[in-house]
Amino acid sequence: MAYKPQYYPGATSVAVNRRKHMSGDVEKLREIADDDLVMILGHRAPGSDYRSTHPPLAEMGEPECSIRQAVEPTPGAKAGDRVRYVQFVDSMYNGPSVPYVRSYSAAINFRGVDPGTLSGRQVIEARERDMEEVAKFQIETEMFDPALSSLRGATVHGHSLRLQEDGVMFDMLDRARLEQDGIVRMHKDQVGRPIDKKVELGKPMSPQEAAKRTTIFRVDNVAYRSDKEVIEWVHRVFDQRTKYGFKPE
Amino acid sequence: MSDLNSDTKKRLQLEIVPQRLLKPETAQVLLNAILDLDGIVRLFIHGPRLPGTVPYGPAKGTPLTHDARRLIEIEGNTMELMVSVGSIRLEVTDADVKEQVYEICKKLLPFPFEFREGNFMLTRQTVSGYARFGPNQDPLMIGLTDPKGKLKDQVYILKKE
Repeated sequence: MAYKPQYYPGATSVAVNRRKHMSGDVEKLREIADDDLVMILGHRAPGSDYRSTHPPLAEMGEPECSIRQAVEPTPGAKAGDRVRYVQFVDSMYNGPSVPYVRSYSAAINFRGVDPGTLSGRQVIEARERDMEEVAKFQIETEMFDPALSSLRGATVHGHSLRLQEDGVMFDMLDRARLEQDGIVRMHKDQVGRPIDKKVELGKPMSPQEAAKRTTIFRVDNVAYRSDKEVIEWVHRVFDQRTKYGFKPE
Repeated sequence: MSDLNSDTKKRLQLEIVPQRLLKPETAQVLLNAILDLDGIVRLFIHGPRLPGTVPYGPAKGTPLTHDARRLIEIEGNTMELMVSVGSIRLEVTDADVKEQVYEICKKLLPFPFEFREGNFMLTRQTVSGYARFGPNQDPLMIGLTDPKGKLKDQVYILKKE
C-alpha cells in the first residue's frame, strides 16, 4: 500500500483545515496578477529583471559533488536570484492560518524555502522567484483572507488586537482598506511604502465562512480541548520529549 | 508629595471596552453624547497609536496617512485622533451618571461592549510625575499624560471652570 502522509491528528474542522493547509490541497479563491504581487511585495519594480547575487549556476562551473548532482536546484537558485522575504500576519479572530501551519505548508510543499515562525507573524525567505511562487500560492488560496490576514513586512501588532469596526484587522500602517464597494484594496507595499496603483485583494470572508475555514482553535469557535485526538497526540509528544534522554543511573 | 492626594477619591471611574476598534465617526458621536452629560470629570481615550510617519522598517520616516487618524469635533473643539479608539476610561461624579453613560453606550454602539467600574486612573503623583510637574500639579491632571509626553498635545480642556 502506498504511503499516505498523515499531517495532523483530529476530527474537528480546525484539524481538517490544518491538514488541508499542510498538504497543499487548498481551495483557490482569488487571482492576483504577477505585477500586482510584485508591487505589494515591494522588492523590485514590476516588469524589471530579477537582480542576482551570483551568475546562473550553469555558467559558474560547479565543483564535482554528488549532492549537487542528486538535487535539482530551484529556478531561483539556478538563476542566482537574491534571497527575499514575504511575511504574513493572521488575526487571532479566526484568521485563515497560523504561523506554524504556514511554515509547515511552505516547508512541505515548496523547495528551497526558509520559513520563520514567530508568535504573530510568519516570514518565508527564499530566492526571489521561488518566494513569489509561495506568496502567490498562499494569497490566492484559502490560506489568505483580505480582512483577517495581510502581508506585513513591519508593524504586525494588529494580529492580536480587536478587529476594526468594519471587520478588518487593525494595521498601524493602513496598507489595505475595505472600500465602499466591499472590496479590500492594498495601496501600500508590505512595508508601508505607497504604490502606484491600488491592488485588489478581493472581498473579505463572512464571519461564518472565516470561522469555518480557520486553523485557529478558539473557545468561541472550535475549542482546542474539544479535539480528543489532538490532545492525545500533544500529550504523547510532550511525554516523549520529557522522557527522551532521561537515563537514571 | 504625600499631601498631593487627588480630590477625586469619591468619584466613580468607569471603563468602556467595545468589542471592535471604533471608527472616528462612531467615536465622535459616542464621545459627544457622553460629554453632553453633566457630571463627567475627565476622560481618557485608549487604543493603538496612529503615527504620522512610518516608525520603523525599510520605509521608516515615510509620511503616513491612516484612515482612522482624522480630525473629530468634540464639544465644538476640533482635535486630531492620534489613536484608534479602543477603550474609553472616564471619571464621573456619581452612580446616576454611570447609568446614563451605560445607556448611551447601549444606544450608540452597534456591537457588544464591556462596561465596568474600578480604579483606572492615578490618584497620586508618581515619583517621575513629581519630578516632571512639581509639587503643585492640578490633581485633575495627575496621570492624564505620561511624564515624557507634552501636556498640550495630549490633553484637551473642554470646560474651563
